[in-house]
Amino acid sequence: MPAIELNRVRRVFQTTTGVLRRHAKQIVAIDDLSLTIEEGELFGLLGPNGAGKTTLIKILTTLLIPTSGSARVLGHNVDREAAWVRPRIGFVFGGERGLYYRLSGRENLVYFAELYSVPPRELRARVDGLLEMVGLRDRANERVETYSRGMKQRLHLARMLLHQPPVLFLDEPTIGLDPIGARELRETIARLHAEGKTIVLTTHYMFEADLLCQRIGIINNGKLVAEGSPDRLKQLVSDLSVVELEVFGATAAAIERLRSIDLVDSVVVEQREVRQLLRVQTRAADRAVPLLVAALEGIEIGRVTVREGTLEDAYVRLVGRLE
Amino acid sequence: MIGPARVLRAAAALQIAQLSANLFMLFCVFVQPLFIAVTAMYILRHRPDFDPMYVVVGAGLSGLWSVALFDGTWAVQSERWQGTLELIAASPAPVMLVVGGRMLGSMAFSLLSMVVCYAVGAWLFGYELVVRDPLGFIVAFAFGLFSLWSIAVLLSPIGILWRTAARFLNVLEYPVYILAGFLFPILFLPGWSNPVSNLLPPYWAAVALHGTAAGTLSRPELMLALLVLVLASAIDLLLARSLLQMVLRAARRAGTLSLT
Repeated sequence: MPAIELNRVRRVFQTTTGVLRRHAKQIVAIDDLSLTIEEGELFGLLGPNGAGKTTLIKILTTLLIPTSGSARVLGHNVDREAAWVRPRIGFVFGGERGLYYRLSGRENLVYFAELYSVPPRELRARVDGLLEMVGLRDRANERVETYSRGMKQRLHLARMLLHQPPVLFLDEPTIGLDPIGARELRETIARLHAEGKTIVLTTHYMFEADLLCQRIGIINNGKLVAEGSPDRLKQLVSDLSVVELEVFGATAAAIERLRSIDLVDSVVVEQREVRQLLRVQTRAADRAVPLLVAALEGIEIGRVTVREGTLEDAYVRLVGRLE
Repeated sequence: MIGPARVLRAAAALQIAQLSANLFMLFCVFVQPLFIAVTAMYILRHRPDFDPMYVVVGAGLSGLWSVALFDGTWAVQSERWQGTLELIAASPAPVMLVVGGRMLGSMAFSLLSMVVCYAVGAWLFGYELVVRDPLGFIVAFAFGLFSLWSIAVLLSPIGILWRTAARFLNVLEYPVYILAGFLFPILFLPGWSNPVSNLLPPYWAAVALHGTAAGTLSRPELMLALLVLVLASAIDLLLARSLLQMVLRAARRAGTLSLT
């Protein structure tokens, strides 16, 4: 039995604009999306902001009702059988909210353990064990308002695991964490997967998805635009090379000149302090490089490198932009 | 199925821990009633009919009513602001029990104000504070508390459904103090207001508590007050349950559980 089944799920939000004359507007967050995730799988969801990743996670965690279609977790409908699903899932949303700041980390965990009916005899040991696991044992009795962002995120992780759910949803869990904190969190996710948990992970970090996930789904404008193993997705750009140009002061007009070159598939600009890194996808790097350099005439060019396509490049190709 | 008592206890403990860490709430519970009790007892001390126990009970009821009104309308919204409403809504624990537990915690905390008033009367002014019908008082106290708690639970979905209306509800703090006869009998009020008082469950809580404290309430009168309190509580809780279910379902449909 699949752990998660989405069958033609559609989710529409209604909003209104204007003060005196109010206009109703519909936003399609998820558009006819079908997907199956097997038990024990670590599945990554990639997509730009507003693509529908969080909406999808919220549907699967019983917090949103799909407008149409059906979503099932462990064979049970997340809307009609929400009471069955809830004790069997755990979730973490990125960010610092969702904790009682005036209480200690331990008090927060004890409270949620009670709401999830953790057996009283096991409660203390389980809370202590999770505090140890996420490295918060020494600060457990301090108020959450004194915690760093990373500590709050780790406390969320401990909260998610209190009732030992078989299915986990992690929505951008490493966002805002320092590199060491993020690496430790990735190690924890890998360990949970090794223990047999089904995990759905949304992330903006391609290397994270590449490193952790068995399968990845790329979602854009509410639609699943690609799905498969990281290697399979990389094959989408096997015909492409990426030319990286480090430049100083490239203007918008210069970027447009690059985009207008026939051999160029896409151009992504990454600002790095005073420099810019231009990532140009092309099918013929050897012929494209001289044209690119010519199009940047008058702009100081530093390093120029050519490499094979990565998962990130596949993402750029599918989604059309990089945030 | 999760044990209701466990959820109520956990939510009450959480609420007490949060209030204990809040300096403003500590002021409301300890300092404000101290001022009220000292002022009332000082002004009224020479009146021959002055009953200091009336002030103690009245101040306690006032504190409970304020908590029911403010914390009730604020309970669900505060969870939403903290980002914890989604966590509660997606947990196996019924949201109504979580809200009910929180209100229980708030009320237990506010009872400390009654203790402060008692201490002022007994130790500062040296009054002999006696409850003339202790058994009746205990029963009246339990029913009165249950009634005010039910109102608080009912106010929680109203605070979400009609946010603007909830702000106006907060204006009811002082009118109910007066109309329910918390600090002085409604006999002092104009006759036309008495039927309004009779419609308010807090009035019947005040009748039962003041009457049993003073020993002036007959058993049938006490039974009538308790019956009104039970009926009002049952209606409040049934309404609260339906409204909360409706609110949460609407929020899951509209995607507003996490909105502030």
